[in-house]
Amino acid sequence: MNANVVSWSQRWASRSINLRLLLAVLLMVLLALPVAGWLLAHHYRTAAVNAFDERLEATLNVVIAGVTYDPLNQQLNYERALGDSRFDHVYSGWYWQITDEANRSVASRSLWDQRLPVLESERVTARTLPGPRGQQLRVVERDIYLAPLETPLHVSVAARDDDLREDIQEFQQMLWLGLLGLGALLLGVLALQVRWGLAPLRRMNANLREVEQGRAEQLETRLPDELATLAKSMNAVLARDQRLIERGRHTAGNLAHALKTPISVMRLLAKQLPGESRDTWEAELSRIDSAVRHHLARASAAGEGVRFAPVALQGTLAPLITGLARLAQRRHITLRQTVDSGVRVHMDGQDLQEMVGNLLDNALRWGKSDVHIRLQAQSEMLLLVVSDDGPGMTPQECQAAVQRGKRLDEQRSGSGLGLAIVTDLVTLYHGQMRLQRAESGGLEVVIELPVVAT
Amino acid sequence: MKCLLVEDDQALARELSQALQDGDWIVELAENGQEADFLVRTEAYDTVILDIGLPDGDGTRWLSSWREDGIDLPVLILTARERWADKAAGFTAGADDYVTKPFEPAEVLFRLRALVRRTHGHAHPVLKVGELSLDTHTQHVTLAGRPVSLTAQETRLLSYLMHAAPRVVSRSELSEHVYDRDHEPDSNVIDVQVSRLRRKLGAWRIATLRGQGYRLLADEPSDS
Repeated sequence: MNANVVSWSQRWASRSINLRLLLAVLLMVLLALPVAGWLLAHHYRTAAVNAFDERLEATLNVVIAGVTYDPLNQQLNYERALGDSRFDHVYSGWYWQITDEANRSVASRSLWDQRLPVLESERVTARTLPGPRGQQLRVVERDIYLAPLETPLHVSVAARDDDLREDIQEFQQMLWLGLLGLGALLLGVLALQVRWGLAPLRRMNANLREVEQGRAEQLETRLPDELATLAKSMNAVLARDQRLIERGRHTAGNLAHALKTPISVMRLLAKQLPGESRDTWEAELSRIDSAVRHHLARASAAGEGVRFAPVALQGTLAPLITGLARLAQRRHITLRQTVDSGVRVHMDGQDLQEMVGNLLDNALRWGKSDVHIRLQAQSEMLLLVVSDDGPGMTPQECQAAVQRGKRLDEQRSGSGLGLAIVTDLVTLYHGQMRLQRAESGGLEVVIELPVVAT
Repeated sequence: MKCLLVEDDQALARELSQALQDGDWIVELAENGQEADFLVRTEAYDTVILDIGLPDGDGTRWLSSWREDGIDLPVLILTARERWADKAAGFTAGADDYVTKPFEPAEVLFRLRALVRRTHGHAHPVLKVGELSLDTHTQHVTLAGRPVSLTAQETRLLSYLMHAAPRVVSRSELSEHVYDRDHEPDSNVIDVQVSRLRRKLGAWRIATLRGQGYRLLADEPSDS
């Protein structure tokens, strides 16, 4: 049960920093503030009542000092005037009273014919009692011995505690209002913290998305210190990614050059060998060659997962298509192109050239008089269609051709390698490829790549 | 036809030029870009086979400098770089075709012939001038459907004239394109070979224009 709660809170707290901050402030507002309020109110009440009681006690002492006993008449007298007129107005709420054991008493004029209940206590005692006319009184009383009396006298001073209660209530009102205000302020500060304090984080987030979509090359590093370090490390990782791709391509290119020339020489030499051994040599050399081509193509492909600056469709493909169109013309083939001009796609330019190049090369090899390339960009999708008017392929052959690309590692001959490289690239980009019959009866290759186009 | 092979790998250059010579080409070799640049600017070739990875820089660099200077002879790029990005760079530099290593010699020959035909404005692999026809792939010559037997040198000479027809070809142009730089004959030898061709094909087919050169005729002139 407890473990459940912990995992729940961990799950939620790890969801968002906003939520963490909110939880912290809510804890403060809902728990700490009421407790603090209660403590303050309690202390204030105690202090206020004590002060009130002390004032009453002072009056009590004055009253005590003014009491005399007339042994002749066996009567209590009060001889001094208390400088406070409130003790003279009837039921003013301010009273004093002196009572002896026989329950005879003298009292302030304000008390009139009423008497306060008496408590026997040698020490000063304070308590709250109901008084005349429904008044609530704070009473301070003490027993004194006045010579020659042998029994104690009970002296009380009382005052209405309305003012006291009002005072306390006022304070509590102020206090709770203040605390409410403080709570609101804390929530407000939280909102500010989330908006202003976390703004760099949000900015970084947006920035990262731009980098992902290739609209920015690097993360902005003009950030608060804590984030700047993070951004710098991320930039270093991005740059290393890019360097690794470039180095991979460079190495692949160099390796290609280093291997291909000797293979070319060996192939030329193999031509001079007698029949059977020549065939064996040529077969083995083709095997080496396709392995090299396949793995180099793979090593040079960037694929998705790396962030790309957008490339212009037209600009990237124009040299390739123009060059191939010249070749096509020499083979009496018309190469028609329908390319969305002005469209930019977020993918690696070389990968795009590789796909288009291989597909067109294939189409020009099989086409009789007409090859058509169509490139259309939708917002999240690039559609690439290459069709020829050659002999085409049966559905079984189409399927086999796509499959072959996937099983290329086990494959021996180099035929159809171009299509296999394209299959590889399409897979890298999580795209779809299908081979179908073109309207003219030839082969039509349709590729859908989920890349962002702008 | 004469071809300049620019290739720094000696073994490959030797074997490829042998294959080209077997296909009836006259091959001259350059081992680096600078040498190739000098030869292209001073000699007459029908085509250039240019390796992209040269010791003194990328072959495309030399190619684009030739194109900038208006040298438009057909160039076939020979490249070990498989990537289409590299091929695209080759096309941009002005290449007419490309062959990737390792290649079939037959493929190189096929493409070279197609390139040269195109340069002279012929689309079809079989060239025809009147009743005379030449299959550029097999080098077979027929006259009114009957095969004509020619020596290798005679075939080269006729082939060049047929590619150029109906243009007039000067003696020096002919000797530049049909003979090795080191074995260029005096004009006398050319005259001798032309007259042998005349004997085999009919004298009127190769007209001599004094001071200008030779020209293949499709029809017998009516008034001679």
